[in-house]
Amino acid sequence: MPRESFQHELDELVSQVLSLGGEVENSLVNMVTAMEERDADAASRELGVDVRYKMRGAEIDEECMILQARQAPVARDLRLLYTVQAVTNHLVRSGTLCEHICHGIADTADHERDEDLEAALIEMARSARNLFHEGLDIFKDRDIDRARDLQAVDDKVDLLYSEALNLIANPSETGAGSPEWRMRAALMVHYLERIADHGVDIGGRTVFLVTGERIENAMQQYMKREQRPEEE
Amino acid sequence: MTQRPTNEPEPRREEAPRRSSGIHDTEPVVTVENLDMYYGSFKALQNVSMNIKRNRITALIGPSGCGKSTFIRSINRMHEIVPGARVEGKILLDGEDIYGDDVDPVRVRRKVGMVFQKPNPFPTMTIYDNVIAGIKLGRKRKKDELDGIVEKSLRQAALWDEVKNKLKDSGTSLSGGQQQRLCIARTLAIEPEVILMDEPASALDPISTQKIEDAMDELKELYTVVIVTHNMQQAARISDFTGFFYIENMGDPGRLWEFDETEKMFSNPDRSETEDYVTGRFG
Repeated sequence: MPRESFQHELDELVSQVLSLGGEVENSLVNMVTAMEERDADAASRELGVDVRYKMRGAEIDEECMILQARQAPVARDLRLLYTVQAVTNHLVRSGTLCEHICHGIADTADHERDEDLEAALIEMARSARNLFHEGLDIFKDRDIDRARDLQAVDDKVDLLYSEALNLIANPSETGAGSPEWRMRAALMVHYLERIADHGVDIGGRTVFLVTGERIENAMQQYMKREQRPEEE
Repeated sequence: MTQRPTNEPEPRREEAPRRSSGIHDTEPVVTVENLDMYYGSFKALQNVSMNIKRNRITALIGPSGCGKSTFIRSINRMHEIVPGARVEGKILLDGEDIYGDDVDPVRVRRKVGMVFQKPNPFPTMTIYDNVIAGIKLGRKRKKDELDGIVEKSLRQAALWDEVKNKLKDSGTSLSGGQQQRLCIARTLAIEPEVILMDEPASALDPISTQKIEDAMDELKELYTVVIVTHNMQQAARISDFTGFFYIENMGDPGRLWEFDETEKMFSNPDRSETEDYVTGRFG
């Protein structure tokens, strides 16, 4: 096939993205375990990943730019480079948020906590981790049928988010946990909601990669589908 | 506005909503309907239909031998100089069938000019005379009028500043890129509606190529341009619409495989063969 070396470079780039994605996912898995087990040491082991992921992301970005300059990609090649850059950005940002959450877990491991809020937080963390995994898997397999369902899964995370915010705003008179822990919990739920969104976006970018369809259009179609019963 | 032969399969993807680029805001100046083309018994093109929009640049791309040059030659009946060449189907220029019984091919060629791959100024003529070579075949004009035409044509071809002080020099004294712009000026002098360009920059260096491309961008304010090019990036840079010609099996006639806005053709074409071609995976 012509342009064999270019294709090889593109394949190599995608495996770099998947490798970075695997590492970020691993950090998320450790984050959830640390949260479930109130394990400060496990959370602390994830501190510092942010810098590493950012460096890896910058390397991928640079490689994309070089390929654009040298190979003048069009059509699916151009969509791939665009998607690789976008997905890398989602991965790096998820890694950063993961580190912020791990900081919170490590700093407040021995604090008193609101058990209902903690349970909501843990459920949200599992869902966010699963959504991220799903988004990355969709990118790996280019399985866009699954991508179109991601938004529905994200709705569940949004619901947990509202539930957690509600618990934060309305602490019970007994067992509300330490103020610092509640403050950290408020930040954590926000970070988790963002990680879930990054997972959805990775799937959405894959829709664009495969079909050229802008994810905004796909999302609009989804929103219309959701609004229709209300309109009637 | 994807156009394809009626016997072709449907596109593999649904049309996504397009952002409005405004490039459709003109009417077609040339309408090609179900064009078949033959050289003797050999069918070179089959069932080509295309609207060529006024004041837009249409690029034709595709592998060698797929009928691109044959096709543009049919738009000004230039192919008729090849014995045995004939067309079936219709080509309408401003609504008039250029293959109608009473249509004079010379009149068609005055309305549809052509620039070739290799610059071909008349070697014994000056720069000035080269520009007005086509005009001299028509009615007599005064010197002042001719001077005006020469300056206007050379300016439109982005050559005036480089030759204004040496109009009496031979056309062949110019560089390759300048000669090609001189040929463009010669074509412009007869004020055609449509300018056909058959790989006009393929023999030129990048700077000369850029000058031709800049000139084309200005020309489309006044003219309609159809360009055959093997330079994919050139098609992507300069054209509003792109047609991909393709031969499915060796010995088959060429077909217009896909025709659409250039933006679409180079970002997300409907057909896999087009995508393979524009991404260089063809062959």
